[in-house]
Amino acid sequence: MSDILSIITTPWALRPDTLLGATLLAVAAALLGEVAWRVLRWPRLMGYCAVGTLLSLAGLGVSGDEAELRLAVDVALALLLFEAGTRLNLRWLAHNPWLLATSLAEAVLTGVAVLIVARLLGVAPAVAAPLALIMMCVSPAVVQRVVGECGAAGQVTERLMALSALNALYAVVALSLLSAGLLLSDPSTWAQALPPVLFSFFGSVLLGAALGSIVSLIARRLDLRNENSVVLLLGCVLLALVLAKTLQLSTLLVPLLAGLWLRNRSDRPWVWPRHFGSVGGVLVLVLFVAVGASWSLEILAAAGWIALAVVVVRVLAKTGVVFALAKPSGLAWRQAACLAAGLLPLSATAWVLAMDFAASHPATGAQLMPLVLATLALIELPAPLVLMYALRHAGELDAEIKR
Amino acid sequence: MSLETFATSRAFTLGVELELQIVNRHDYDLTPGAADLLRVMEKHAKRLIADVKPEITSSMIETSTGICERHHDVISQLTEVRDALVHSAGQLNLRLCGGGTHPFQDWSRRRIFDTPRFHQVSELYGYLSKQFTVFGQHVHIGCTGPDQALWLLHALSRFMPHVIALSAASPYVQGSDTGFHSARLNSVNAFPLSGRAPFLLTWDQFTVYFNKMARTGVVESMKDFYWDIRPKPEFGTIEVRVMDTPLTIERAAAIAAYLQCVARWLVIERPFEPEEDDYLAYTYNRFQACRFGLDGEVVNPQTAEHHPLRQLIAQTLVDVEMHAIELRAERGLAHIRELLNTPEGGDAGWLRATQKREEFLPEVVRQQCLKFEGVG
Repeated sequence: MSDILSIITTPWALRPDTLLGATLLAVAAALLGEVAWRVLRWPRLMGYCAVGTLLSLAGLGVSGDEAELRLAVDVALALLLFEAGTRLNLRWLAHNPWLLATSLAEAVLTGVAVLIVARLLGVAPAVAAPLALIMMCVSPAVVQRVVGECGAAGQVTERLMALSALNALYAVVALSLLSAGLLLSDPSTWAQALPPVLFSFFGSVLLGAALGSIVSLIARRLDLRNENSVVLLLGCVLLALVLAKTLQLSTLLVPLLAGLWLRNRSDRPWVWPRHFGSVGGVLVLVLFVAVGASWSLEILAAAGWIALAVVVVRVLAKTGVVFALAKPSGLAWRQAACLAAGLLPLSATAWVLAMDFAASHPATGAQLMPLVLATLALIELPAPLVLMYALRHAGELDAEIKR
Repeated sequence: MSLETFATSRAFTLGVELELQIVNRHDYDLTPGAADLLRVMEKHAKRLIADVKPEITSSMIETSTGICERHHDVISQLTEVRDALVHSAGQLNLRLCGGGTHPFQDWSRRRIFDTPRFHQVSELYGYLSKQFTVFGQHVHIGCTGPDQALWLLHALSRFMPHVIALSAASPYVQGSDTGFHSARLNSVNAFPLSGRAPFLLTWDQFTVYFNKMARTGVVESMKDFYWDIRPKPEFGTIEVRVMDTPLTIERAAAIAAYLQCVARWLVIERPFEPEEDDYLAYTYNRFQACRFGLDGEVVNPQTAEHHPLRQLIAQTLVDVEMHAIELRAERGLAHIRELLNTPEGGDAGWLRATQKREEFLPEVVRQQCLKFEGVG
């Protein structure tokens, strides 16, 4: 609370953590995003990330421990993950088992390849393991945002949304299992460690299902295309997030599962404004500025080469699997190339996963964070552009954006 | 290009074409999936008699049966291709449905399927070609010769309101209830060469007409005429094009059977001779059928009498009874008889009733998909 007060009482200091500084940053990000869109036809997202990147380069980056910022990040990410969950149709995976196979193989191979490369480059096993799991992720946030902005529709878009949601799910679950495994590795502390681990996992599942059910109830009675109903919806997501934080559940798993539950419990279509309208839009902007500002030049200098190697094997692993299973899963070669390129983004989900893991394992976390942040520094800015060109090359953008 | 010679085909054989909507499984809007669907359908192509083709916008796909003798052939070919299409769509997270329009699609977002002819058509007609994202059923009827084809074409014109009302399945356009049972035909009317064919009863006269038109540069081939019924010399058929794609293949097959029986009755019994005056009230009657469906009232231009469409169709079913037995089309006509007795009045009525219950057009489309898949 005192932090919030200090923001308001010291309004004239031009730092990112003052009200004036933060507001100016938001304005700058919005402007730069609009310029990127109008002049270059690049995703607005790139403007947001660029502002964050400038902060990082200027040494004004964020650590992620700032309470207000972390809240905004969690809410924005929750909204995007919820949306990602609603785009994952499990019936599709049943109809097309090769797609499920693509997803599993792509995640496993990425994890194994990153683990091997990290070990070869001298990263300790305790650090390489969580790093490998985090690198399986393909940012559902970036995918949702770019697809929404470009009005993309088609097979590559659909698969990208499904694969990124699945990836995020695997990474979150696998990392919480790893985390639990580490806590439970000493049998003498089992009695103390087991209940919170179980509570956290099953609690997240239950809360996710509850949120999904409530949203479905609201959606059946109110028109979600109306601004007021969207605020109600946003309130529900926030409430679930507050509960998750208070009960120490996963703030990633709850919204993702809620969306998944909503999509798959009935076949009924759901329509609401992307990212919950303008409120969501502001939060998403803050999220991407923050991720862009999460690293520093020292981190990049220290971990840059390992990060580069990790990025390369991650791309190779994902591309290899997508191509190998393209034909049986019903994809043309050109589409496979576009899908593989679209799997590049790594963003907020990875950042938050790493921070959460570091919070419960401080010793490992201290070595893990620089690696994850350096990777983010390399991927964050180019990824939305690569994604957009991949969708354009696949012929899935709205006609007016094609130009 | 000159007019092709008219191929002969066995009289009263049938061919049915259905234009289908490709929608996504998330919000059930139209989605560009034709190329993907065609690629995945390739592995079914060998065992299917029916064919699958792209249409002008990439959220549309057309399926057509081979030459059918009987109503039963139409049903079995359409069922086979429907099942293959539904299976392939499932693999791609797509769904398919019937209906003459998509109830809430935004035409400006449609994409033109990537072939030279479609781009050329799109360039000429501009937004009309995207507005033309409407979905019709076409029925080919085999004719033994070109003069018989032209005679039948004009004799059938009186029955166009019947099949418009029976197939009507497009009450919603761009998110609004149009008040029409078939709003689809209103989009077709915007094309310069739509409407009725000129009243010419011999192929020689028709060839003269075609050559004059071709000389003006307005048309190059028969494909450039968007008439309600047009001769298809290449197949040796006439093609009836006024119907909306019904919500189920059973209804599509029943309407084809109705046309087949009427054609046989007309050609064999010659209950009347077609004349230019048949067309006096043609557009009025067509409007009545589009606007009010089976509750429409049509005018007989010769007698100036007004008749409810329901009654006329019921009378026609009696008139063609012997031919239905001959063609073994009784089950198709039974379907039509049953439809006449349904109070909600056909697919347009069903769509309105569903929207009244759900108050959510995407959900209506989802239930349309279930109906098309044969499970709803």
